[in-house]
Amino acid sequence: MNLDALQRRFASAVTGVGHPDDFEARGMRVYANNYRGQLVMALRDTYAKTRLWLGDDDFDAAAGRYVDTHAPSSWTLDAYGRAFPDMLEADYPDDPDVSELAWLDSTLRDAFSGPDAEAIDPAMLAADDWDAVEFVFVPTLRFRSMRSQAVAIWKALADETMPPGPMRPDDQGESGVRVWRRGLSPQFASMDAHECACLDLALAGATFGEICALLVRRHGPTSVAAEAGALLRAWVADGLILRLRQG
Amino acid sequence: MPAKSLPAFHGFGLGLRVPHYDAFLATQQPVDFVEVVSENFMVDGGRPLDIIDRVRERYPVALHGVSMNLGSVDEVDAGYLRRLRRLAQRVDPLWISDHVSWTGIDGFQSHDLLPLPYTEEALDVLAANVSIAQDVLGRALVLENPSTYLAFADAMMTEASFLAALCERTGCYLLLDVNNIYVSATNHGLNPDDWLEGLPLERVRQVHLAGHSQGRDMLIDTHDAPVPDPVWKLYARFASRLGPVATMIERDDHFPPLGDLLDELQQARDIASAVACCAA
Repeated sequence: MNLDALQRRFASAVTGVGHPDDFEARGMRVYANNYRGQLVMALRDTYAKTRLWLGDDDFDAAAGRYVDTHAPSSWTLDAYGRAFPDMLEADYPDDPDVSELAWLDSTLRDAFSGPDAEAIDPAMLAADDWDAVEFVFVPTLRFRSMRSQAVAIWKALADETMPPGPMRPDDQGESGVRVWRRGLSPQFASMDAHECACLDLALAGATFGEICALLVRRHGPTSVAAEAGALLRAWVADGLILRLRQG
Repeated sequence: MPAKSLPAFHGFGLGLRVPHYDAFLATQQPVDFVEVVSENFMVDGGRPLDIIDRVRERYPVALHGVSMNLGSVDEVDAGYLRRLRRLAQRVDPLWISDHVSWTGIDGFQSHDLLPLPYTEEALDVLAANVSIAQDVLGRALVLENPSTYLAFADAMMTEASFLAALCERTGCYLLLDVNNIYVSATNHGLNPDDWLEGLPLERVRQVHLAGHSQGRDMLIDTHDAPVPDPVWKLYARFASRLGPVATMIERDDHFPPLGDLLDELQQARDIASAVACCAA
């Protein structure tokens, strides 16, 4: 057997797909266990709060299903598990807290070692034509809408306090969450529906004027200046904005 | 292009892992160098790079990788090498090391050190990838013998003669993991004392000392336990033949207090000193 064939067959045997009889059984058992164990450990490491929420048995069962269906393809284990929240969403369709907690775990991990960037100094926040200003955000910023109370659950698990109870049918979950890194520390914050819509628009390259127009449609013209000002102050104070760009 | 030769460096160090970052940064620890896992710092930014910068201010650093995939029939990953080169430019390491193994093929990455058959074909593949990596990184690599759990019927060479041929072809250096030698030799029914036969000892730049576990059928290279007595004894016998060489304790799991690892490192120093006295 040439080396190409040997390595292909070895990879199949390690992942449990095929060709186990081509190799010494005792040794192959060690490699197969190492492979599986390493990947499950990586998932436990990245998804620590999800594991606490699900419990060890259910988490490891989910991790096992993921390993069975997702072969790693990157040199870095940090990339393994990127699709784990999606799998959990399919596995727990009536419990969005599970996949949303996993998204938060994963996104905070990405922010931890994401690109460095220094947010704009609030004192330097000036523009000739605010209507035409576009926002450039720090590169670690990510956001998503939420159906559950995953943010509150994550905080409670981190603080070792009592997580919120199950949502009642008329409860509103958190509308959304944003994740970013400030200095060396990953951060996250809940967002209401208006901020979600505005951030979505801003990340798509909308100008401040277009964001204000959205707020007018949602709130009416009376309070738009106060709403837009509060939003901008929060984004700057939280270190989300890298710089302003005149559109 | 021939690989640049590495300057000599003798000393005693530790593998630096997360639980001990603070201790290494708070106080100057009694080590001559530290070794870090390259991939943990081949990131875009954030705390890992802040830590490696501050560690480097205090200690010489060796970069030790686990994912270069040098033995694969796939050509070594150019993106990986670029990231590693960028890290090396930042850290100015003593050397860059990885393993005589393969980790994946055709887009699959096992994240484990998989064994190579000691054949001419595997040597051709490995040597070609080592040469590419050395060209991109602008330096000779230091390559480690992995623990192995199975052998291949068509092997034509011993592991030591395979490594000797690799050094000859590429100008690379060697990192001898004494625990891995003990584990592999025991698993394959070989005498670990014979392992150095045929090895170009002058190419050995570093020694790893670590622990292992007893698996169901064989010894497992877990690096999660103190260096056991048989590995210390093997190190003592090898040390007399290797002469002064950078030596470190490598612990990857079940981390004890830092003081325990420093005690183990002192044991390595004592053995090396005793061997040097006998040889003088």
